[in-house]
Amino acid sequence: MRLEKCYFCSSTVYPGHGTMFVRNDGKSFRFCRSKCHRNFKMKRNPRKVRWTKAFRKAAGKEMAIDSTFEFEKRRNVPVRYDRDLMSTTIKAMKRVQEIRARRERAFFKQRMSGNKERERDLDIKEIQKSIHLISTPTIKAKEMQKAAAESSRQMDLD
Amino acid sequence: MSRVRRKRMHCNNKELHQKYKSKRRTKDLDQIQEDLKPENKQRLLSLPEDEDLPGLGQHYCVECSRYYVDERSLGEHNRGREHKRRVRDLKAPAYTQKEAEAAVGLVTDNGRALSTPAVGPLSLLSLKQKNDAVAAAKVASADRTMETE
Repeated sequence: MRLEKCYFCSSTVYPGHGTMFVRNDGKSFRFCRSKCHRNFKMKRNPRKVRWTKAFRKAAGKEMAIDSTFEFEKRRNVPVRYDRDLMSTTIKAMKRVQEIRARRERAFFKQRMSGNKERERDLDIKEIQKSIHLISTPTIKAKEMQKAAAESSRQMDLD
Repeated sequence: MSRVRRKRMHCNNKELHQKYKSKRRTKDLDQIQEDLKPENKQRLLSLPEDEDLPGLGQHYCVECSRYYVDERSLGEHNRGREHKRRVRDLKAPAYTQKEAEAAVGLVTDNGRALSTPAVGPLSLLSLKQKNDAVAAAKVASADRTMETE
């Protein structure tokens, strides 16, 4: 079973799924779904479309450099079948997957760290900036009191 | 009962649609980059006269793969926004299936040294270092304000 990768979003294309477009110069393009095919027909650049894997990797949204990526590679070296080697490989694959998932979770956490504080700061700033738009009676009364106190102080000073 | 025959209407003519779809298909960026190579460009700019093409096919914009009726409209096009955008897009190397596969970590390793991707890749370690530096800077600035107060 040959699993291809989508030209546009880099997801896996299983047999019997998706579309293949063969250009008149013989080059073929595989798409996982009509969404990707349509975007290709619109001549969009996958590097600039935010939901593709190519964009997310290049923009630092996902972990791109890690030692767990060193295992899965096309090496073009023939290997003689060996039952023990096969079983250890499969064991190793599972283990590597586990480690990568853990690191990806940690990466996401790191990427999102500090967001809450940043958002809270922005919210506070916005409220301070546009407090005059809020017209609840309590706040209005407070503002009135403040203004009155201010004016009376001014009078005293005068 | 199944359908016996479709009504013979112009819009049902699949062959016609496919014909126009492939006829009107414009070149992709990687094909144009191929055209822009000096030997190909030379050939495209000195095509024999073809009476089916606009302006006998003598005024061609290689970057946009379009024929213009005369030198004036070609010049106007060259000054336009669309042409400039296309020139800008063509500067970057074309997107390939290889790049799509590299994005999910499928690369070939034949024992040769790999060229690292140019656009800022992030590892967990580097991100952590960056975040720690930001946090440390924040703490330091907070301390400074405390001291001044």
